[in-house]
Amino acid sequence: MTQKNINSRIPASFRDPSGFLFCYDGKIYRQINRIYQEHYEHLMESGLYDFLVKNDLIVPHVEVDIQSEEKSKSYKTIEPEVVPFISYPYEWCFSQLKYAALVTLRIQKIALDYGMSLKDSSAYNIQFRKGKPILIDTLSFEKYREGTPWVAYKQFCQHFLGPLVLMSHTDIRLNQLLRIYIDGIPLDLASVLLPFKTRLNLSLLSHIHLHAATQKKYEDKSINSANKKISRTGLMAIIDNLESAVKKLQWKPQGTEWGEYYSDTNYTEEAVNHKKQFVIECLEIIRPKSVWDMGANTGLYSRLASDRGIPTVAFDIDSAAVEKNYLTCVQNKEQNILPLLLDLTNPSPGIGWENTERMSILQRGPADMIFALALIHHLAISNNVPLAKIAEFFSKLCNFLIVEFVPKSDSQVQRLLATREDIFSDYTQEVFEYEFKKHFAINRFVKIKGSERILYLLQRKV
Amino acid sequence: MSKMKLVKSTIISIFLLAMLPLPAFAYIDPGTGSYVLQIILAGILAVPFVLKRYWVKIRNIFKKSN
Repeated sequence: MTQKNINSRIPASFRDPSGFLFCYDGKIYRQINRIYQEHYEHLMESGLYDFLVKNDLIVPHVEVDIQSEEKSKSYKTIEPEVVPFISYPYEWCFSQLKYAALVTLRIQKIALDYGMSLKDSSAYNIQFRKGKPILIDTLSFEKYREGTPWVAYKQFCQHFLGPLVLMSHTDIRLNQLLRIYIDGIPLDLASVLLPFKTRLNLSLLSHIHLHAATQKKYEDKSINSANKKISRTGLMAIIDNLESAVKKLQWKPQGTEWGEYYSDTNYTEEAVNHKKQFVIECLEIIRPKSVWDMGANTGLYSRLASDRGIPTVAFDIDSAAVEKNYLTCVQNKEQNILPLLLDLTNPSPGIGWENTERMSILQRGPADMIFALALIHHLAISNNVPLAKIAEFFSKLCNFLIVEFVPKSDSQVQRLLATREDIFSDYTQEVFEYEFKKHFAINRFVKIKGSERILYLLQRKV
Repeated sequence: MSKMKLVKSTIISIFLLAMLPLPAFAYIDPGTGSYVLQIILAGILAVPFVLKRYWVKIRNIFKKSN
């Protein structure tokens, strides 16, 4: 096998000339270009790297002998530890983005102590590993030069502070603007969307509103900054101020549609236990390598997998449910579950340059096993997705599927039909089985005690 | 503008451009407005920041002695 066939650049890293990620023989490596040599050496020799690794703030790496196709620029190749699931800021709940912001600032403060500074502060450089936010870009540091400002200050405000303030003070759903603006929410847009009271807060007035105004004033202008130095104390004061501004931001989930879902089901305790027992049985028979729980709510069933050491992603459409789920993970120091925000009817697309910089949800699959519990009726009835399309979609995403069929007679389905005409003559158990059997084989099924619902374990046909 | 003046202003412009402290390895645009704001904020926030650090140190001494 020639190197050409197996060596490819990863489309997420191309902006920074310091180096890039590439794939070789199924593994991910990072080439460090010669242009970045002195910064990398400082990172490794100053003790900064060791300190960050010791404190779980940067992914560890090893230096290897593998070469990319662009070896003429190469100084070194490193193999970073792999993060099990790559997620993006528009899929994070409020507290995930907040903790990612605080970790970025903490790293910047530590870097300054070691004579370095973050040269970018992209939210995409942070990932969740073992339940904690961690920096994944080893080449994010440059040697700090006394008197220079923080080059990534604007990016920090666009990627973290702006979205957090909007989520906290205007509407939690505004994090979705990050899906449109790949380099963070423009500060002039954040400024107009925020309520007046944010102008009465000195930090928010400075970092958002005045920041937007100075950007406009100095648009297309350069300045003679030779005599405009920023002292190290001044720089640390700005970072400290950003940190306290982020720490003070709060969002309390209330009044959202599904936040209280578990206390609002038609399930008896007997039915919940029976459902759990079936899921556990399936997990023990199949022993999946990864689980995606689609429509996980606050993660009741996801934890049946994650508590067994299986890397589990718990997706839900509701910001409040994801927030509650994540705060539970933090409180219990859970390492195997990652709650994320996802609208299955319009899942994360491929975005950025050539639509390949950030992966779609399909590109990040397949998962070994998917849970689709109490979900199908929402897709089929609330969103008019035909059962044939639902079956096809899941066949692209997983090898095994635990799926719950909720018949029309169920009170939850009746609730969905209460305000609309019943145009769903095909929504029957027979059609459900017929459509799913086109892609999957039924491994086992059970009627849930005390309900009319049926749980299936399906196995994808190869 | 006379020829001499034009040469002079070009030399001064090149000199001023050369004086701009380009960050060591910045590949993202730090933004002129963001730079100016940092200079202003550094001036405003430095004193309270130093006082805060001293206050934390003093508080820690009292905490330890308690």
